[in-house]
Amino acid sequence: MKRIPSLVAASLTLALVSLTACSSDGSSDADGPVELTFWHGYTEADGDVLEQIVDDFNAAHDGEITITTQVNPWAVIDDTFLPALSADNGPEIVAMPAERLPVYADRGAFVDLDDFYDADEATPALNTGALDMVTVDGTRYGVPTGFVPLTMFYNKALFDAAGVEVPTTWDEWVTAAEALTVDQDGDGTPEQYGLALADHATVGNGVWPSLFYGNGGAIVEDGKAVVDSPENAETLEFWHDAITAGKISPTGVDGVSGDGLFSSGRAAMYIGGPWMATVSEENGVDYGIAPIPAGPQEQAASAIGVSMALTEQADQAQQEAAQEFFSYFLSQQEATTWALGSGWPPLRTDVPASDVAENPVVAALTEQAALGRPLLPGVVNSTDVLTAVDTLTQRAMAGDPVDALLAEAQTAVQAALDD
Amino acid sequence: MTTAHVDRPRKRPYRAPAPLGGRGSSGVQRTRTGSRRSRSALAFLAPALIVLAIFVVWPMVSALQMSFTDASGFGQAEWVGLDNYTRIFTDPDIRDAVVNTVVYAVLFTPTAVVVALALALLLTSDRLPLRGLFRTALFLPFIISLAVAALAWSYLIDPQVGLLHYWLRGVGIDLGNVLQDPTLAMPAVALVAVWKNFGFYMVIFMAGLQEIPGSLYEAAKMDGANAWTRFWRITLPMLSSTTAFVLIFATIAALQAFDQIYVMTGGGPYGNTQTVVMEIYESGFRKLDLGFASALSYVLLLATLVLSIVQFVFFGRREEES
Repeated sequence: MKRIPSLVAASLTLALVSLTACSSDGSSDADGPVELTFWHGYTEADGDVLEQIVDDFNAAHDGEITITTQVNPWAVIDDTFLPALSADNGPEIVAMPAERLPVYADRGAFVDLDDFYDADEATPALNTGALDMVTVDGTRYGVPTGFVPLTMFYNKALFDAAGVEVPTTWDEWVTAAEALTVDQDGDGTPEQYGLALADHATVGNGVWPSLFYGNGGAIVEDGKAVVDSPENAETLEFWHDAITAGKISPTGVDGVSGDGLFSSGRAAMYIGGPWMATVSEENGVDYGIAPIPAGPQEQAASAIGVSMALTEQADQAQQEAAQEFFSYFLSQQEATTWALGSGWPPLRTDVPASDVAENPVVAALTEQAALGRPLLPGVVNSTDVLTAVDTLTQRAMAGDPVDALLAEAQTAVQAALDD
Repeated sequence: MTTAHVDRPRKRPYRAPAPLGGRGSSGVQRTRTGSRRSRSALAFLAPALIVLAIFVVWPMVSALQMSFTDASGFGQAEWVGLDNYTRIFTDPDIRDAVVNTVVYAVLFTPTAVVVALALALLLTSDRLPLRGLFRTALFLPFIISLAVAALAWSYLIDPQVGLLHYWLRGVGIDLGNVLQDPTLAMPAVALVAVWKNFGFYMVIFMAGLQEIPGSLYEAAKMDGANAWTRFWRITLPMLSSTTAFVLIFATIAALQAFDQIYVMTGGGPYGNTQTVVMEIYESGFRKLDLGFASALSYVLLLATLVLSIVQFVFFGRREEES
């Protein structure tokens, strides 16, 4: 019988603890330094550099501003940010994949940064594509932390063995891929593919938009769906034919299995982001980086972006402190440090490739930076648009008739834009 | 099975018979002991009730309230009346998700129940050696986290690196890219869920089987009933309340399918494994449309409730008949 009170007490404490854990203590002390919490998902070498930048900033603002970082994978941030906001216990600064920013901005989660941009000296030099990704309905809600065009990784050893040059046009690309596709046992399933062309769910979702751009097509333009175009039909048919005729790439590949195919040496070419450099090194793949080969109309690549934003939970002092950090982060010196350490090209156009030459990956990507186009900038409901594009490309590669698919995708994308 | 009401408290506190024709002191006495008993009952229940109130009742109430608003989880939410509910019944994506969920339930529930029952019968048989080992081995998948199991299976059936593919190719079968195949993806995720869950149902069935008195089988044997007849005439009817329980549990699990789909296919290929709960997750956490997600949750809750009641009534009646 003695156990009852202690049980009741224990459960009450538990309940109280969980309640207090929900309540926020984000407000800043009037006397002490302004305290900011910063969530980001840079977990590799890029994370170390970002921590260093934050530490340096804290040291430079000793007693005034203290930023505490919390590192989680991007997917975890996306899953926990909403509950944290609704419990009034979110971070003041949050970094997230750029295509996720508009949906939060549209719901009023972020502070309008137009005044910051008007006042800050760093911002005119920012890559305009990166800026487009933080702009929703003409208002800037974030600061870019990364903007990089998708690029082609190729396996140098396999290229040398097949005696193939790095392709620069689509036709060369397909020819090279055919030469690099090896079906040793002749069972119709190649052991080595020339190319791993992901047809859905790629990180950054940029493979197909890049191909569409190459032939003069697009997905969304000026807030209108433009998927259903003869250019896009041609693109889909070209790649479907190339894949069926030469078996140059497996179908049904998503970003994760594409990464695996390239890093295990089973695919000679792959479209990816800067992280593929690290992945390749870890797996002992001697890789080269080249721009995505030019299409019949244009040479362009979809870009991946990451942006950080200032949440509405920040009070006035915290907002000022965060903007102080943003301008520190965007300064020419820190932007260069950040680029070198993170492996992403500099966000400022006034940092020349020669300044980042010590990191060959960054230097190569910096030269390609101008090819990058932001993916669906300002589109709030990007989830549904990308789902529609994924459906389109998967079914087209599986051999469904392209015209009907494009019409369907057009309706779905427009509905998502109107939503 | 008909049980007469014979369960009575073993010890009843002695109570003097009430004096004839009036409300005596014993009446007062009774309410006092009654309230004291209910108070101590409440004290025992309090921890559970508090936890239940905070983590179940409160979220349910606030979700119901949210389902009539355009809430996004933060900031102001506006009352939109029944808009979210009407959207559920007009949105073609939701209709597809409902169809997918039904397909999943039809694949998962009967398979899981039949496999569990068959293995339970096998494992309660005296003739099987190493029963303990088999019981443990078959129950193991249930202990593993569903996400981990799903990830392991994705690798096993991956066309590039999958071990299962390698073996099947050895005997001349090419499965193709199962999880990217619009017709095979759903059976694949359902099978993984069966593999993951049947152990739990099996244990419930085993408990039910042990409740059946052996004398029934002996009598049937003497009357010349063969194993098949004994199964249909004794085992199955005697198990009907257990079966009802397992079926209801399996149905609820099927309607709430999420983890293995999220990990294995993410709803693809092109939405062919997008279930209602996947849709709830996407509306709430991807599109920040918590109002709509709450409304969808409530509709799912009602559907689950109705199905469970129907099953309960159906098996309850069978139990009375037998």
